[in-house]
Amino acid sequence: MTEKLPDKTKLVMPMLMHTPRSVDLEITTRCNLRCHYCYFFNNPAVDYRELPTDEWLKFFDELGALGVMKVVLAGGEPFIRDDLPELLEGIVRNRMRFSFLSNGTLIDDEIAAFIAGTRRCEYVQVSVDGSSAKPHDSCRGKGSFDRAIRGIRTLQRHQINTAVRVTIHRNNVNDLENIAHFLLEELNLPSFGTNSAGYLGTCRLNAEDVMLNVEERQVAMTTLLRLSEKYPDRISATAGPLSEGRTWHRMEQARAQGAPAFSNGSHLTGCGCPSNKLTVRADGAVIPCSMLAHSELGRINRDSLAGIWKNSPALNQLRSRHTIPLDKFEFCAGCSYIPYCTGNCPGLAYTTTGQVDHPSPDACLRRFSEAGGAIA
Amino acid sequence: MNRTDNPIVNPIVVLREESDEWAILFNPDTADAVVINPVGVAVWKMMDGQRRFKDIVLEIKTRFANASEAAFEEIVAFVDKLVERNYVGYDLKIAMDDGKIAG
Repeated sequence: MTEKLPDKTKLVMPMLMHTPRSVDLEITTRCNLRCHYCYFFNNPAVDYRELPTDEWLKFFDELGALGVMKVVLAGGEPFIRDDLPELLEGIVRNRMRFSFLSNGTLIDDEIAAFIAGTRRCEYVQVSVDGSSAKPHDSCRGKGSFDRAIRGIRTLQRHQINTAVRVTIHRNNVNDLENIAHFLLEELNLPSFGTNSAGYLGTCRLNAEDVMLNVEERQVAMTTLLRLSEKYPDRISATAGPLSEGRTWHRMEQARAQGAPAFSNGSHLTGCGCPSNKLTVRADGAVIPCSMLAHSELGRINRDSLAGIWKNSPALNQLRSRHTIPLDKFEFCAGCSYIPYCTGNCPGLAYTTTGQVDHPSPDACLRRFSEAGGAIA
Repeated sequence: MNRTDNPIVNPIVVLREESDEWAILFNPDTADAVVINPVGVAVWKMMDGQRRFKDIVLEIKTRFANASEAAFEEIVAFVDKLVERNYVGYDLKIAMDDGKIAG
């Protein structure tokens, strides 16, 4: 069979890759902490059961055969698994790289040395929510700050790339300046990321105590925008007040100037995850994302992951979400921001409205303004 | 030990065929990646240490009807780039007294 050399002009990014490049793995349902805003626990749709070692190892062989490049190990708290070295060996054997999302409190020299020795770790992300124990421990539990910082220092000692994520809530919104100083100048981290407590899982039970109100959200946005100027390229966000502050500022400017619609505006384009990655719950259910944990697409070691990736009706429906115009929603009726709006996260849309194919009210600029919020 | 003319891929490198039009070679030890086209994929799959470089070029010219006269130089440049990045090496064999190569 004869093939033709491709026309170089046709070498454009396809809509969908043959297989996902990255897969998020919730390898455990256990956690040594019970954070007040945890998205993972208290989700009635989730079966909190975890798979044994051999099930994960078998699945890693499938990921390796599919050419998956990296996995992100989360939970629960991934460092709680006693068989973690064995799991990491399975990942390495299958020519993948890995990262962790962790609370940092269980990281010791032994596991850090093991991770460093694999040469395959992209980063370990540790949650730090304060510049001192008081704001951090207020939502994460007594002693968790000291242990998280010890974990970070252990990772640094072993020269493992360490990322920090700050979740902003009512008890640390006035500590952001100190947090930036602590992380960037005392711990000498190259950068850190931010988000905020979202209306998912345990946070739904504690929303009044932890979620930012309009005034606090505005304080967080203003402070983070100022800090990101003070520390250029060292504070990042894909969600939460900093991300909203930047996006909403651009939207407001565009609207005021009557600028043409943004290329990603006016439709539900707010999430590209379903075309890039998949997630596996601790019980082996394949789901689009941790934020859509109720949406079971199949089971590992029973259903072909490549088959799910290409053929799952639910996943393909999620991928076609970007074709849904915002002006069809009553929620968006008469909104002058529509040409510049993406509708944001389908996970938050689902937990607040019960519909995935709906804009997320939490990320609505008009709603924020009507509640008294102002753009910095 | 002599270097043969038989290129062989580094077994740690992953070939990810993203679509019918492009693929990625990914080294998980370094996180380094190279984007290649279908001809690159075909060349990659033939570098098994058993084929001589010139046989690979001949096969490409046969399989790809519109391969240009410059195909040889293009494939040389492609393989050289991969050798430079440690994605490809050349099989080493022992030279015998009679000049033959022992496997």
